[in-house]
Amino acid sequence: MSALQRVGRWLAGPIPVSIVLAFLIGACFMLIAGVDPLNGYAAMLQGSFGTGAGLANTLQRAVPIIGIGIAIAIAFRAGVLNLGTEGQAGLGALAGGIVAIYVPGPGLLVLLLALVTAVVVGAAWGLIAAVLQNLLGVPILLSTLLLNYPARYFSSWLIRFRLDESSSDLVASDQVRPEVQLSMIVPRDSGFAETLRSSLGATNPLTMVLTGVNWSLIVLILVVIATIFMNRRTRYGFESGLSGQNAEFVRYGGVKPGPLVLRTMALSGGLAGAFGLMLVIGAPNTRLIEGYFVQTNYAWTALLVTLLALYRPVGIVIAGTFFAAIMVGSDAMGRELGLSPQIAAVIQALVIILLAFRVALPRFRRTRAAADGATAPPPANPQPALSGAGVTDTAASASEKESER
Amino acid sequence: MVAEVSMRGITKRFPGVLADDNVDFEVEAGEIHALMGENGAGKSILMSMLAGVYQPDEGEIFIRGERRTLSSPLDAIDAGIGMVFQSFKLFPSLTIAENVVFRAEPTKRGLIDRKAASRKVAEIAERYGLSIDPDARVDSVPVGVLQRVEIVKALYREARVLILDEPTAVLTPQETERLFDVLRALRADGRTIIIITHKLGEVMAISDRVTVLRDGRNVAQLVTADSSPAEITRHMTGRDVDLTTPPPALEPGEVVLDARGVTVPGAGERDAVSNADLFVRSGEIVGIAGVAGNGQVELAEAIIGMRQVSSGTVSVSGTDLSRATIAERRDGGIAYIPEDRHAVGSAGTADAIDNLALGHHRRAPILQRGLLSRSAMLEHAQRLIKRFGVKIASPATPVGTLSGGNLQKVVVARELDYRSPLLIAEQPTRGVDIGAIEAIHRELCEYRDNGGALLLISAELSEIMSLSSRILVMFEGRIVAEVPKHEANDALLGLYMAGHEPEERHRPGAFADALAASTASTNHEKGAAL
Repeated sequence: MSALQRVGRWLAGPIPVSIVLAFLIGACFMLIAGVDPLNGYAAMLQGSFGTGAGLANTLQRAVPIIGIGIAIAIAFRAGVLNLGTEGQAGLGALAGGIVAIYVPGPGLLVLLLALVTAVVVGAAWGLIAAVLQNLLGVPILLSTLLLNYPARYFSSWLIRFRLDESSSDLVASDQVRPEVQLSMIVPRDSGFAETLRSSLGATNPLTMVLTGVNWSLIVLILVVIATIFMNRRTRYGFESGLSGQNAEFVRYGGVKPGPLVLRTMALSGGLAGAFGLMLVIGAPNTRLIEGYFVQTNYAWTALLVTLLALYRPVGIVIAGTFFAAIMVGSDAMGRELGLSPQIAAVIQALVIILLAFRVALPRFRRTRAAADGATAPPPANPQPALSGAGVTDTAASASEKESER
Repeated sequence: MVAEVSMRGITKRFPGVLADDNVDFEVEAGEIHALMGENGAGKSILMSMLAGVYQPDEGEIFIRGERRTLSSPLDAIDAGIGMVFQSFKLFPSLTIAENVVFRAEPTKRGLIDRKAASRKVAEIAERYGLSIDPDARVDSVPVGVLQRVEIVKALYREARVLILDEPTAVLTPQETERLFDVLRALRADGRTIIIITHKLGEVMAISDRVTVLRDGRNVAQLVTADSSPAEITRHMTGRDVDLTTPPPALEPGEVVLDARGVTVPGAGERDAVSNADLFVRSGEIVGIAGVAGNGQVELAEAIIGMRQVSSGTVSVSGTDLSRATIAERRDGGIAYIPEDRHAVGSAGTADAIDNLALGHHRRAPILQRGLLSRSAMLEHAQRLIKRFGVKIASPATPVGTLSGGNLQKVVVARELDYRSPLLIAEQPTRGVDIGAIEAIHRELCEYRDNGGALLLISAELSEIMSLSSRILVMFEGRIVAEVPKHEANDALLGLYMAGHEPEERHRPGAFADALAASTASTNHEKGAAL
């Protein structure tokens, strides 16, 4: 199959079709709101990718989505349904942020200490769920989801009643000291930034990205590469990936399920904590703000991105960037055309829903068909001729169920 | 004479699969008709269409010359067709009579007449020699009885055509004989029976005519009396098949597996396995026979470490593994082909590379300097696929798309490649077509002749008897008998499988005692010589 054919086939596939569909329906909404859809989409594209500032904005917004997405993917790929990245990231940010703000010392050292603290706290919060599942059989899906709430409200309380500095209206902590903050990849006042501006131009996309996006982007790139390597080349990556597809098979192959879950939750929570911290210690945001993680919804956007990308790191990078672009672009569209932010949000939601339907559903069906049968599509559970619904299988299959445990 | 059932030009497609391809199928009134074919040949699907579970994409169905559209199981019942499926569909907490009359209850003044129900069920059972107690609760009776309940259920609804899907899979030889008596009685009563099976012996014993399907096509329609097992096999596979296996090349050597007093707690009060003693020597195959659900699976899982034991010891080649993890037992020399290749033996959505690598990924050549070598994994997969003749598009193909036989070859290939001293093979050829059975049996014999110790657990007595040199029989979690190959036959094993007291020389452990005595005497002689 030639490359051209392959591109053609992909274009006819579910993802492009659903994006086009979403934009078409979005256009209807713009018409209702009295805006020319062509202008609207032009503004959106311009705002997200068209200008250097827009591109920098999109990338900065994509970092937490992709980073937390990778954290979720590591867990989901292993069959560990970690829905608690909001809490893990939030607490990681809180603990790491406190270190960054209050611990004195050389900037770089404090920054590293803060990062380690965030990873440890995020991992610990994730490990609670793993231990609960291993010892008491509490499903991780439930415990991680519920652990988000204490994390959320404890952070709120701490920021509001212990850390709040009274000088601004915002309920927020002091700023992280500038020397501790994550700097731009190329600091704006450095000589190299000056060189870039004079040689490429001040609004050149590369200049803007290098001087307008902080170091978390570099960390993200390293994490993505490390994850791909881990999945393909390490024992843990191999075992966890197979475990996500059939945990009993992996146990049968000699891998203990308990430690695998512990490692997975520690990794996933730790990564979430690190990306949570990086959200609050580098421009555009350099302080702990009450409710920040809940309002920005990064963890849940990341979950969606991860599900669409089927836990594949490269897919998460692409989908995460796309979602960040839509967010940044629709903000820009709202500003440019005076479109209410609600309409922008509607378009965002449409893209997401249609993508989810078009991508997730056919895949779901295919997996089910594959799971159902080897050669012949078997009457997996043919409704018996002579009895009604709700009939239970009897002895033969009961013993099968027994052996499954 | 008009055929009782006539299916003409039936075609049924499922996404990606042509299950039945323009099949003609005819059954005369009052005959026992066997429908044969390998796995995936389309037999069950064809009969499900006759029972109204599926609808054909093309083709017509005539019942007694009248064209019928069977769009639901109710239509099929209406047309006088009843099907007994492989997995029974009964309410465990209701009585047999309640199950039978469900949705066709006899009533008295608008209320269900339980006495009449019980009486009618007893009448039907009596008439055809189906011994059942209508007032027993379904969850309290054995599998063989459940099957009779299903048959009575069909007869209660006045089925003139009775379809049985693999009815003997869950029965002992004696129970099978009894079922065949019932089927003959039904035939004498003018009813028509279609039996789906892949067991040649049974086809020859019970059927009047045979229809053979291969790859969704009707390839032969034979009169049983004029045919032979070899001819039917040739039609099923399209070639000659030799299922005889070579005798062991070596005398049995050292004891490899030594399990003593293995007890596994069960779900209920009774232990799933109680106090099982067994040993397997290198170069021999020891078979475990038993009706499904008598503790064989639990025993195997206890040996490999997947199931907690309440007491007992397991050692392999002299190393005690009683408290070892699964990984340690695998490293200690146990490989295991599990009964359920889908739920335990493979990950269907993963490709053959990963499926074949599991376990082997802990050591060289796949593990190099602490990292997995992708190229070694690919080579490993290619080598095993080639050596075991797995039909697969590429090593990167998900194994869930493979047929039963090919998937089983993947599992067998992976486990044999451990070259471990002990292999536990559980139902190694269940649901596998005859070509793959031949290949897998050959591999198992080769493993034995290379000095491997093989513990074979199978519900197929013919498989157990052709491969094993000693046969242990399990009943209700206990090893109740031990029979050497040359004394084994269906009838004897069937008795022991049903829990009959063994003769003294078949008492479990008798052989071990004799062996110990002879070793002791040889040692004694040696001692004397020195």
